Amino acid sequence: MDKQRDFVLRTIEERGVKFVRLWFTDVVGTLKSVAIAPAEVEGAFAEGVGIDGSAIEGLTRLYEADVLLHPDPATFQILPWRGEIDPTARMFCDIRTPDGEPAVADPRNVLKRTLAKAADRGFTFYTHPEIEFYLLTSSKLDDKGRPVPVDSAGYFDNVPGGTAHDFRRRSVRMLEDLGISVEFSHHEGGPGQNEIDLRYADGLTTADNVMTFRTVVKEVAIEQGVYATFMPKPFSEHPGSGMHTHMSLFEGDTNAFFEAGAQYQLSKVGRQFIAGLLRHAPEITAVTNQFVNSYKRLWGGGEAPSFVCWGHNNRSALIRVPLYKPSKGQSSRVEYRAIDSAANPYLAYSLMLAAGLKGIEEGYDLPAEAEDNVWNLTDSERKALGYSALPASLDHATSIMEGSELVAETLGEQVFNYVLLNKQREWNAYRSQVTPFELDSNLEML
Amino acid sequence: MARSLSSDGRASLTELARLGFSELAAAGAKLAAFDPSLVGLFAASANPDQALNYLVHLRDQSPDQLARALSTPDAAQRLIRVLGASAGLGEFFRRRPSELESLADPLTGLPPLETMRSSLVSAVEDALSRATGPSANGVDDAIVALRVRYRSILARIAAFDLEQIDQLSGVEAVAGCLSDLAAAVIDAALELARRHVPFAEREVEATRLSVIGMGKAGAHELNYLSDVDVIYVLDADASLSPQRALEIGTRLAIELARAIQGPSSEPELWEVDANLRPEGKDGALVRTLDSHLAYYDRWAKAWEFQALLKARPLAGDRELGDRYVAAISPLVWTSAGRANFVESVQHMRERVTEHIPPDERDVQLKLGRGGLRDVEFTIQLLQLVHGQVDDGVRQAGTLPALVALAERGYIGREEAATFARDYRFLRLLEHRIQLSTLKRSHLMPRDEGALRVLARGSGLASSAADLLDQWQAVKTEVRTLHERLFYRPLLSAVAGLPEEGFALTSEQASARLAAIGFTDPDGALRHIGALTAGLSRRATIQRNLLPILLQWFAEGTDPDHGLLVFRRLSDALGESHWYLRMLRDSSGAAHRLTQVLSGSRFVGDLFEKIPESVAWLEDDDDLAPRPIGVLLEEGEAIIARHSDDPDAAAQAVRTARRREILRLALASILGLVSVQQLGRALTDVTTSTIRTALAIARRRRQDEIPAGMEFAVIGMGRFGGQELGFGSDADVIYVYRAPEGDGEAAQKAAERLVADLNALTEDVQVPLELDIDLRPEGKNGPVARSLDSYSAYYARWSLTWEAQALLRAHGVAGDETLITGFQSLADGVRYPASISDSDLREVKRIKARVESERLPQGAEPSRHLKLGRGSLSDVEWLVQLLQLRHGAAIEGLRTTSTLDALAVAQESDLLTASEARMLREAWIFASRTRSALTLWTSKTTDVLPNDRAQLDGVARLMGYPPGSASRLEDDYLRVTRRARKVFEERFYGKTGHTP
Repeated sequence: MDKQRDFVLRTIEERGVKFVRLWFTDVVGTLKSVAIAPAEVEGAFAEGVGIDGSAIEGLTRLYEADVLLHPDPATFQILPWRGEIDPTARMFCDIRTPDGEPAVADPRNVLKRTLAKAADRGFTFYTHPEIEFYLLTSSKLDDKGRPVPVDSAGYFDNVPGGTAHDFRRRSVRMLEDLGISVEFSHHEGGPGQNEIDLRYADGLTTADNVMTFRTVVKEVAIEQGVYATFMPKPFSEHPGSGMHTHMSLFEGDTNAFFEAGAQYQLSKVGRQFIAGLLRHAPEITAVTNQFVNSYKRLWGGGEAPSFVCWGHNNRSALIRVPLYKPSKGQSSRVEYRAIDSAANPYLAYSLMLAAGLKGIEEGYDLPAEAEDNVWNLTDSERKALGYSALPASLDHATSIMEGSELVAETLGEQVFNYVLLNKQREWNAYRSQVTPFELDSNLEML
Repeated sequence: MARSLSSDGRASLTELARLGFSELAAAGAKLAAFDPSLVGLFAASANPDQALNYLVHLRDQSPDQLARALSTPDAAQRLIRVLGASAGLGEFFRRRPSELESLADPLTGLPPLETMRSSLVSAVEDALSRATGPSANGVDDAIVALRVRYRSILARIAAFDLEQIDQLSGVEAVAGCLSDLAAAVIDAALELARRHVPFAEREVEATRLSVIGMGKAGAHELNYLSDVDVIYVLDADASLSPQRALEIGTRLAIELARAIQGPSSEPELWEVDANLRPEGKDGALVRTLDSHLAYYDRWAKAWEFQALLKARPLAGDRELGDRYVAAISPLVWTSAGRANFVESVQHMRERVTEHIPPDERDVQLKLGRGGLRDVEFTIQLLQLVHGQVDDGVRQAGTLPALVALAERGYIGREEAATFARDYRFLRLLEHRIQLSTLKRSHLMPRDEGALRVLARGSGLASSAADLLDQWQAVKTEVRTLHERLFYRPLLSAVAGLPEEGFALTSEQASARLAAIGFTDPDGALRHIGALTAGLSRRATIQRNLLPILLQWFAEGTDPDHGLLVFRRLSDALGESHWYLRMLRDSSGAAHRLTQVLSGSRFVGDLFEKIPESVAWLEDDDDLAPRPIGVLLEEGEAIIARHSDDPDAAAQAVRTARRREILRLALASILGLVSVQQLGRALTDVTTSTIRTALAIARRRRQDEIPAGMEFAVIGMGRFGGQELGFGSDADVIYVYRAPEGDGEAAQKAAERLVADLNALTEDVQVPLELDIDLRPEGKNGPVARSLDSYSAYYARWSLTWEAQALLRAHGVAGDETLITGFQSLADGVRYPASISDSDLREVKRIKARVESERLPQGAEPSRHLKLGRGSLSDVEWLVQLLQLRHGAAIEGLRTTSTLDALAVAQESDLLTASEARMLREAWIFASRTRSALTLWTSKTTDVLPNDRAQLDGVARLMGYPPGSASRLEDDYLRVTRRARKVFEERFYGKTGHTP
C-alpha cells in the first residue's frame, strides 16, 4: 500500500496538483466528489475525510453521525480534462463510519464484500462491459419534445469528419491517460449512438472504470459542444443503450468457466453460474435496470433481451455464451445482456456475481439452451419452452426484488431497503404523469 | 563409575537398565563389539539406546573416523552425549563422518561470534578455491561447505550445552551463542553472494547491505531451530544509480537466502524470513534507510512498532545497521501514544490465545495460557507502556527486559526472579525438543519414553512424571503472570504502602490503564485508591483481588462505569462478612460482578439500591426466577408485619419488587433465562406486587367498601400475555361486583381502591405504570366498571378493537369468582362464533392507521422495536386477527400468550411452518433487543439506536462479540423484514403488491 501512497504524494508534488477530488458513488449510482487541497491528502490517507453523510442519497437517514472518506491510493489519476493550468487529480474512496467499520450504504463496499465472498470460495471475478450511449446536439429537446442526435449514421458507418469520430478519438485518448484500456469502439445501431468496450479487469476495477468512463464521456462531449446521455432508451424508434457485460471467474490463473472438450468448452462451474444468473435474473432486474425508462429498452425490441434464457452465440437470449476461440482457453466467459448503461455498476455487479455464485453453491441445473430467435416465437411457444419474461416495468421489478433473500443478503438490509423505497417513489412519481402517448391517442377520441 | 560387569566383561542387564537403556538385551549385544570402558559413559546420555545405535551405524560405515572420535574418554563421552540428545546431529555425522572430529577437542566455553564467523567464511573460501576445474560448480560446493561447517559448530555448542552442570542457568548463554551462529552464517552467506552475483565487482563493492535481526534473532535469544526474522537495509555510494543499487541489493538478499535455505546436497539450515519488512510479503525485499523511515513515519501499524522493539544489526554492513537502529528506535517508543494502541494490544493478546488445534492443547509449550508467548506478551506490553518515558526498559531480550523492569521499579524483584526461572524452564524444554530432531517444534512429547529422554536430557527431572509435574507447576505460575506483573503494581501507585518494595507513579499507572481501554484512567485510579486505602480487612482483600477484577472490567463494554459502581457497592457493603468472603473465595461470582457492572447501567443503578443482592452471583439458584407462590408469601408477610402502617408496607413492597427485577436482570445478562421465561417472571413480579398492594388497600379502605363487594384487576396487553419486558408498562382494567343496591357506594369504593393501588405501587426509580388506556371507551371511560356495566357495554357498543384488546385479558388480582365471571364475559366477546367481514376490515383499518400515526415523530419505521416494520406489534396483531377469527373453533388459540397462539396457529394450518418461524424469530429478536437496550442504557426506549457505541453495547448483551454494531443492525433488519412480508400477506391479504 505505502508504495502507492508514496507515489501519490510524490506525484502531487511533482505535477503541481492543485486539487484532489475524492470520488465516491451513492446508492443510485451518481458519482459524488469532494475536493481537498494537496496538503490534506496525507491526513486523508491516515484518518479519512469527514463528510456529512445525511446529504447523500442512500446514506440519508441511515446515519446520524458523519462518515469518513478513505481514498484508495491505487486509484489515483491526474484528470486530463482540466488541462495543465490547474492540475486536478482524483481517487476513489471507501466510506467508513467513525469507528472504522465500512459504511453499510457504500456501494463500493457492497461490491468489495461480494468479491470477498467469491474469494473465500477461491474465485476472482472478472468483467468486461460494452457501454452504449447516445450523442445529442444538446440536452434540449426539439419542438416535438424529442432529443436530437448528432448524426444519423447506422451500425459501423464511418462518417467522414463526423463528430462521432473526433469524439471517440478524444475519449479513447483521455481514458487511456486515466489508465483505462479501451478494447474496441464502433458506432452502434441508432443515430448518434456509440459503444466503447472497456478491457477485461477485476470487478472492482471495472466498476470504478465505468464511473470514470461516464464522467470522461460527459466531459469530452462538453468540450466538443455536444451532449452525451446514458439514458437507457432516449428514442422509442431506435435501440436503447445497454451495458452488456462479459463475466468470468478465475481460480488462480485458471479460467473456472473453461473445460476442454465440454460443450462450448463450458465447465460445470460455468454452467451453474449461468443457471444461477437465470434463476435470479428477475430478482436483480430492479438494480441492473433501475429506472422507469430502463423497461422501455428491455421491452422495446432492437436486440434487447426480454426473456429469461441462454444461448450459444444467440443474440436474442438474456445470457449469451460467446463463440469460443480455440486459441484462447482463458477467454471462456458469459455475457449478461439485460443490464443497461444507467445501472450503478457496483450494486449491479454485486448482484450478478451473487446470483452466479448461488448457482454454483446450490448446484443449480442449467436448462436447455435457446437455439431459436426468441423474439420470433409466439407466447405459447415460449411458454412451452419454459422461457419466462423479465419484469415488464420498474414496479413489477421492484415487487419481485422485495421478495428476494439473495438481493437483501447481498446488498445488506439497509441498502436493500433504501433501493426499494427509492424505486417505489420513482414509480409513484412516474405513474402520476399524463404522457404524450395518452394525449395523442385519447384526447381527441374521447 | 562402579564396574559391575559379569565375568566375561559384559554388562549385566541390570547394569544396562541402571545406565538408562530400555532395550536391554539388544543393547547388551551391540555393546559387546565396543571397548567395555565405553559402557559407563552412556549414563550421561539422554537416550542411551539412540546413542548406541548411532555408534553401531558409524562403526559399520566409517570405522576409522569413529575410532579416532572415541580415542579419549573425554571425547567419547562428548560424542555419546550428543548422539543421545540429538538424532538430527546423529544423522549429520552419518552423512559427514569426517566432521566427527569437531567433538575431539576439549570444550572450554561457547565459541565467540568472531571465531564462528571466520571459521564459516574460511569454509566458504576453501570450497571456492578448490573448485577450479572446468566443470566445477564453486557456488554449490561453497553452499555445502557453509552448511556442513554450521552444523559442526552447532554440534560443539550442543556438546557444551549438554555438559553444563546447571543447564537452566545456561539457557541464556546458549540462546545468545545460537543467535551469534545465525549471524555468522548469514554474514558468510552474504560474503558468498557478493562473490558470485552477476554484476560488476565495482558495483557490488559500492552496494552496502545490512541485515537487521528481528524477533528472537534480534533479541539475541534464538532457539536451536527457529526461523530467523530479518529486514534488509540498503545504501550505496553516489557512483551507483538508486535503481541499480536496489537491483544489486535485492539480488544479494535473494542469493543470501538461497545459500541458507535453497536446495542442496546438504539439507537447508532454517528459513530466513523477511516478512516483517514494511508491507510484509507485498513490500520490496530491500529498501534504503530513508524508505524504511518514510514507511514507519506514515503507514506502519502499531504491531509493526512492537516488532521493531527487537531490531538489532545482525550481519552485513555494521555501520549502516547501527544507523538504522538509531533512527528507528525513537519511533518504537512513541507508538503507545498512538490512537489505536488499545486495539493493537487486544490484537497482541489474541496472538497469545490464537487458535491451537485441540489435539495440541495440552502439549503446547509456546501458545496458550501459561506458555512462552504469555510471558513475552506481558513483558512487551509493560515495555511499550513504560518505555515511552523510560529508556532504561528498552531491552530487546525477554530476560534482560524482565531484569530491567524490576530494576526500574515497574515490577517486583521477587516476581521478576520467579518468572525468569519459569521462562528459562520453558525455553530449556524447547531447546531439548528442537535439538533432538533439529526440527521446529513447540510440542511436548506425548509418550512416556520420549518424556523420559527429555527429563534426562534437560537435567530437570529423573522421570517423565516428575517432569510433567514441574511443567504443570510452571504453567500454573505463568498463568498468574499477567495479573501479577501488569495489574497488581497498579495498586502500588495509589496505596500508601508499597508491598513489593516498589511503587508505580500515578502517571505510570494511568498509562497502563489507558492501554487496556479505560477512557478516564485518572478517575479509575482514584477509585482504585479508594478501594484499597487503609488497613481494613476489606482493603486488604480488595488489594489482592483488584488486579484480576481490573482485567475483567477491561474486557467489558464500559470498564470505567463498571469500576465506579463497584466502588460504590463496596462502600455500601463495607465490612460485610459474606461480601468479602465471596470476593475472596468465589472467582466465578467476582467475574460475574465485573461482567454485569461493565455491561449494564440498569443493573448498576439497581445494585446501588440493593447492594446485598451481590451475594446471588455466587449461586445460580439465587438467580433463578422465584415462583409466584414464594413472591406472594413474602407479600403476605409484609402485610402482617406492617399491618398498622400502609406506607411502610408500600415501601417494603417496592423494595421487594426492585429486588426481584434486579434478580431477573442479572439472570438475563448472564444468559440464565430465555426471553420467554423472562416475560413470565417479570409478569409474576408485577402480579404479586399488585396483589399485595391490593390487599393493603382493601385493609385500609375496609370501612368504605360495602360488605360483599368484589373487586378485581385484569391484566391486558403484554401483561395479560405474560410477556412483560424490562421497563414495560402494565396494562390493566378494573372490575367490581356491587352487592344489591349499593351501586353508587361500590363505584366510589372501587375508584378509591384504584387510586390507592396507583399510590402504593408508585416507584420513581423502576416505574410501574398501571395503564388503563385499554378500558372501554378509552380515555373517556370510567376508571373502573361493574361486571354488569362491562356486560351491558360489550353487548351494546362493543367495537372490534375492544374485542381484540380482550384477547389478552387475564385476571391477575382480586376475587376469584369475579375474575371467573369477567373471563367468561370476555370469552363471549373475544372468541365470537363468527366475525363479519366489516369487523375484520375494521381491525385491518385500525392497524393501518396505527402504523402511520402512532410512530413517534421522525422515527424510522424499520428501527422501531415495538411499532416498527415487522416488529412486535405486527406479529401480535396478526396473531390476534387469527384468534378473533378462529378462537371459537380452535380451543388452543384461546390463550393470551402470543407465542403459544402462534404455535397453535401453525399446528392448525393457519400459518405455514416457515411463516410461523419467521414471525416467532422476529418477535423474540425484537423482545430481546428491547430488553438489552433497557439493560444497557437503564432507560426505556423503543428505537434501535443509530449511535454505534450504543449498538455495540446492546449487541454485547445479546451475546455478540465486540465490534458487532453493523451485524446487530443487519440481523435485526433482516428478521423483521421477513416477518413484515408474512404479516402483509396474512394480515392485509394477498391483494397484489402494495402501491
